[in-house]
Amino acid sequence: MKNWFKNLSTNKKMAISALVLGVLAIFIGTPNDVHKIYVNAKEMALSTVKDQDKISVKTFADWLIKDKADFILVDLRNEKDFYEYNIPSSVNKKMENLLGSDLMRNQKVLLYGNDNIAAAQAWFILKSSNYKAVYILNGGMDAWKNEILFPKLSAAATPEEIREFEKVKQVSIYFGGTPQIVSDGSATALALQQNKMPELPKLTAPAGNITPKAKKKKEGC
Amino acid sequence: MMPYFKFDYFGFDFSLVVAFIIGIGFGFALERGGFGNARILAAQFYFYNMRVLKVMFTSIVTAMLGLFYFTWIGWLDISLVYIGDTYIVPQIIGGLLLGMGFVIGGYCPGTSVVSAATGRTDGMVFIAGIIFGIIVFGEMFPLLEGFYNSTNLGRVTLVDFFGLSQGMLVFLIVLMALGAFAAAEWGERFFAKKNGRGVE
Repeated sequence: MKNWFKNLSTNKKMAISALVLGVLAIFIGTPNDVHKIYVNAKEMALSTVKDQDKISVKTFADWLIKDKADFILVDLRNEKDFYEYNIPSSVNKKMENLLGSDLMRNQKVLLYGNDNIAAAQAWFILKSSNYKAVYILNGGMDAWKNEILFPKLSAAATPEEIREFEKVKQVSIYFGGTPQIVSDGSATALALQQNKMPELPKLTAPAGNITPKAKKKKEGC
Repeated sequence: MMPYFKFDYFGFDFSLVVAFIIGIGFGFALERGGFGNARILAAQFYFYNMRVLKVMFTSIVTAMLGLFYFTWIGWLDISLVYIGDTYIVPQIIGGLLLGMGFVIGGYCPGTSVVSAATGRTDGMVFIAGIIFGIIVFGEMFPLLEGFYNSTNLGRVTLVDFFGLSQGMLVFLIVLMALGAFAAAEWGERFFAKKNGRGVE
């Protein structure tokens, strides 16, 4: 038997190996059953502790500026808030519809609500249903407003902080925000003097539940 | 666990380095398979040298068995592997166009690069043609966009389409490949006799 196999040509050996593996495959059936939910509690806990599942708003702003498109940004807030203002490129989805939605398991999904709570709940729902690349936009809309749209520089800032602020300012203006200098606790917009929170930028593109045009072939040959 | 990029083992920038290395490996394998030579490639369409079919089926079976067994062992999460949407009509038309270009020019895009890299002039001319075609397509895109995005069937896999288990489909494709190899060997001998030319 051993000699018989040895005497075959390489082609035939490979063909027989493929056939054996093919026959075995019938008995294995479907190795990844999509309906089975598998929670690796430790892995999930670890990734939470290590903050691997969070993306800062600054990093995200950078992605948008660089036109990165390998993710889908999901806005979990209610429709009214969403239409009032939303982070560019986001789509509005209700938490209860997440699993039935068109999100794909092999997509990088970024979640945000007003703060981290809704996003964290949605993160768990998706994560436990085998969506592997799920991230939380850290701080949600609050962080986006505080750090990107209306960044503040204290009047008593060090030169280093001022230099840093210059960069932030550019990002803020890019997204239609209003950088501010804070003195004595009251915020002063750089452009116009005012004490209240500046207005949210107007949405330029019709936002929202209009399904974004299918992006074709982000990957593959 | 694979796929490494989706699990964030490395970032976008490093993924380009990985792609470069894989690309070189791919090109090398194509060249060693004889795919840098337009005569061998075009011979496929006249049935006297079935090397393209054999190499393609070998790679399909190898990759398929690898993906299947890696998933089974638990090294790979296949649900994270990207599968493009099926746009049935545009893809059929595109496939026919590519096939026509293949017969006329003797190369497909990948093999033309391999051929040019080994110094063949026809490969270089072919690449110039590809670039010209890309520019024409890009300029015409607003006109073609509606058609380009039409008849989207979403993610279709053979497993879903036939309602078989993955293992059964793997087995059937292995059988199909082995059948194709046997038929190809027989066909080569048959056409060599008929055309009076040997297998190159």
